[in-house]
Amino acid sequence: MKKGIIRLLYRKIIDTSSSKIWEKLVFDHSYTEFLMQAQLYNREKKYSTFGELITHVPGAEKLHFLVSASVTGYVQQLNGKVPDILNNTGKHFLPFSNFRFEIINSDIRKKEQHQVAINFVSEPLTWYDTIGDRLLVAVNGNKDIRDEEVLTEMFSLQPFLSIHSLKEPA
Amino acid sequence: MERKAFLRNGLAALGLGIIAPLACTKSSGSSSSSSSSSTSDSTSTSTSSSSCTATGSETAGPYPTVTPSSYVRSNIVDGQTGVALTIKITVRNLNNSCAVLAGALVDIWHCTALGYYSEYSDTPGGSYATVDYTASHFLRGRQTTDSNGLVTFTSIFPGWYSPRAPHIHAHVYNSSGTSLLITQIAFPTDICNTVYTTVSPYSDRGVQDTANTADMVFSDSLATELSTVTGSVSAGYVLTQTIYVSA
Repeated sequence: MKKGIIRLLYRKIIDTSSSKIWEKLVFDHSYTEFLMQAQLYNREKKYSTFGELITHVPGAEKLHFLVSASVTGYVQQLNGKVPDILNNTGKHFLPFSNFRFEIINSDIRKKEQHQVAINFVSEPLTWYDTIGDRLLVAVNGNKDIRDEEVLTEMFSLQPFLSIHSLKEPA
Repeated sequence: MERKAFLRNGLAALGLGIIAPLACTKSSGSSSSSSSSSTSDSTSTSTSSSSCTATGSETAGPYPTVTPSSYVRSNIVDGQTGVALTIKITVRNLNNSCAVLAGALVDIWHCTALGYYSEYSDTPGGSYATVDYTASHFLRGRQTTDSNGLVTFTSIFPGWYSPRAPHIHAHVYNSSGTSLLITQIAFPTDICNTVYTTVSPYSDRGVQDTANTADMVFSDSLATELSTVTGSVSAGYVLTQTIYVSA
């Protein structure tokens, strides 16, 4: 009954409307780092926005990577669980060890324009079935040693959560 | 320095008088200035979605703690192999009779023994960094100058890539994060020749293809950008360089 092995992608957007402490720390520190690193590509202070830098300055796309160092410590604080994504009992359950940081918008003169995203890629899950609008999956490696039960999780697909990859069953 | 003061001072020093928006974003949830999609709180904002998600019931802690950029460290090796190199940079202030400058931020970055920088693909579908976060920024670091104007990094002797002479990048900021100088540090050729011909994996590539005097960056500025390097392959090398900025 296995449908395959999947990895989920959750794209968490953080901007001035983000309200949780963790999100605010990511917002503030990524903006500070953006201000510092953007100076590499804006020596004459000709540009104000991230979009202008990307459009006009060769190499400015490295800012995604360069600014990411300011948030990696915060990603570590998540203890390997994708934030916001809850199972049907209301708990974080989705393990990840890979992520990618991106700057969506920013402006060296307007902090409120700063908007970033962290893309979390989950560890592999075994997808068994779809029940209503919920997926029934098992976090690979979570096996109950009694009997032959496999411990499962149920969750709903939701905005900004997608299936990143699929490996068909053998 | 306290973070908000850092930001305020940084922006003021940049000549960007925008305290108002900062104050605005400091207060929580001033949604009037919010522009676009709020996605993080899917439990509270997905009312228009066809599927509802159970609201989480979690313990209140642990609370997030303020964490400095992963650049802030003295040892930037992160498992890269090569001849040990200690990098000692002293920052002096041209606007203060060349006195040492304390409290300046110094970023450095350089390539591996084989000429690669830490960086990952930013293309859609590109590779993803792992949570082993410092490793994704290997050979990059940030330190604050002490009372002697000195920062010290533990690293490896960089290799080279075409068409550049061996070098370390340095970016000096004042304590508010405002850029003071972006520069590069050159290496004495005789020591490069020793490292690049006698030690693996440098010796796989041999000597650099571009001399300092022919380098696009150093050819007109070698006098101020050439470092002093002492030591040996077995004992490791120590690089010293003084960078003069106008602060």
